[in-house]
Amino acid sequence: MTISLRAGLMLATATLLASAPALAQTSKLDEVLKRGRLVLGTGSTNAPWHFKSADDKLQGFDIDMGRIIAKALFGDPNKIEFVNQSSDARIPNITTNKVDITCQFMTVTGERAQQVAFTIPYYREGVGLMLKADGKYSDYASLKAAGSSVTVSVLQNVYAESMVHAALPQATVDQYDSVDLIYQALESGRADAVATDQSSLAWHMTQNPGRYKDAGYGWNPQSYSCAVKRGDQDWLNFVNTALHEAMTGVEFDAYAKSFKTWFGKDLPQPQIGFPVEYK
Amino acid sequence: MSQSFLDQLWTARYVIMSGLGMSVSISLLAILAGSVLGVFVGMALVFGGAALRFAVRAYTDIVRGTPVLVLVLASYYVSSAVGVNLGPFTAGVLALAIFCSSHVGEIVRGALQAIPKGQTEAAKAIGLTFTQTFTSVLWPQAMRQFLPAWVNTAAEMVKASTLLSVIGVAELLLRTQEIISRNFLSLQFYFLAGALYFIVNYGIERFGKYVERKTTLPS
Repeated sequence: MTISLRAGLMLATATLLASAPALAQTSKLDEVLKRGRLVLGTGSTNAPWHFKSADDKLQGFDIDMGRIIAKALFGDPNKIEFVNQSSDARIPNITTNKVDITCQFMTVTGERAQQVAFTIPYYREGVGLMLKADGKYSDYASLKAAGSSVTVSVLQNVYAESMVHAALPQATVDQYDSVDLIYQALESGRADAVATDQSSLAWHMTQNPGRYKDAGYGWNPQSYSCAVKRGDQDWLNFVNTALHEAMTGVEFDAYAKSFKTWFGKDLPQPQIGFPVEYK
Repeated sequence: MSQSFLDQLWTARYVIMSGLGMSVSISLLAILAGSVLGVFVGMALVFGGAALRFAVRAYTDIVRGTPVLVLVLASYYVSSAVGVNLGPFTAGVLALAIFCSSHVGEIVRGALQAIPKGQTEAAKAIGLTFTQTFTSVLWPQAMRQFLPAWVNTAAEMVKASTLLSVIGVAELLLRTQEIISRNFLSLQFYFLAGALYFIVNYGIERFGKYVERKTTLPS
């Protein structure tokens, strides 16, 4: 509840301030180019999206998306100034010009799209199930077949039970209040599977190779996009182009390398010839 | 993940120290600025004319009646809307200092008003100016009243400094969360952060006790 109160307060502040008049009609794109560095809003406390390495460097998939945009701007992926922000600050910091762009595992929703302009998505998040590699169950089908004898550990949440039951209608749901505990429940055998964001599962599996496996089922889709201030089509187009070419064009290798680092999966090369967009 | 808490602690030692340093600097700056400003607020409440008293009373009531988090957010976002682009650190310290000043102001007011009127009258009778009366007669007495409550406010400021993590100031709490997001050792590292905050506050308390001892009247 405290989180949502906080988010509400921040939104209220930002809405009050959003009425500030727009000054010059030049695009953010020109402003950023003139400044010589990209001001990117992101967090520092969520692996594998944006977090600190052991030697205190910001890293993660969101960070790499920022670097791809910086490279498109300046030919140098390091010309970025990071603004550390909590999840609640993502929209306010955009509307008050604290940042040029925010890339912080931001789920695209209609409500948010009324306040900021979303770029094209760079990842599709969903809930997945992780099993022990040498466990009793081999995949989603066997979990489902086992009915109520399956215990699933999940992060505590109002929707946790219905979220799990959407995939495994009869499973027993054990809720824990921190991420380390849901993994520990699986490790100690108190749970047969962990249900949480696939990106978190993928990161955990790359950290512990060979110990776990994905049950091969995903649900609850949501798109992750960067966001910029509304009303600047030029800037939005530029960022879209940079991200698009990272997923399909000249910067594909950088995107694929990042994807492999944080999610442990090799991406197939975009099909050469007829553009993939029109398949 | 398989590493033990001590290994992780060793890896993160500089990060924790930098977070602690940041928390201590935020708190010290806010307490210092807030106390200096607060003494003036308190004086204005006691000695000011009607108009000044009304204005300062409105200031303290509004600031004291507002959650610190709201002050922090307002300081960060309103400043950029009016064209003064304060960084998170400056905006955060400013908000905490303002909050601190309103509390210290009330403490100073209470301490000054607790001094019997006869003291001021006696000072006047022997021909002291207002400044002399304040520095030699009123303040030394008020300070003894003021210290215990001030220590309490100072400790509150250290705890309120954690709210600056919301606007992205890399203080101890945010640093701790960064470490936990990497190694998932939430219980251990939150406990460590709690212990460090306790040590800082215990230090403030000891300092307050020390000053109290130094300033106490020989009996």
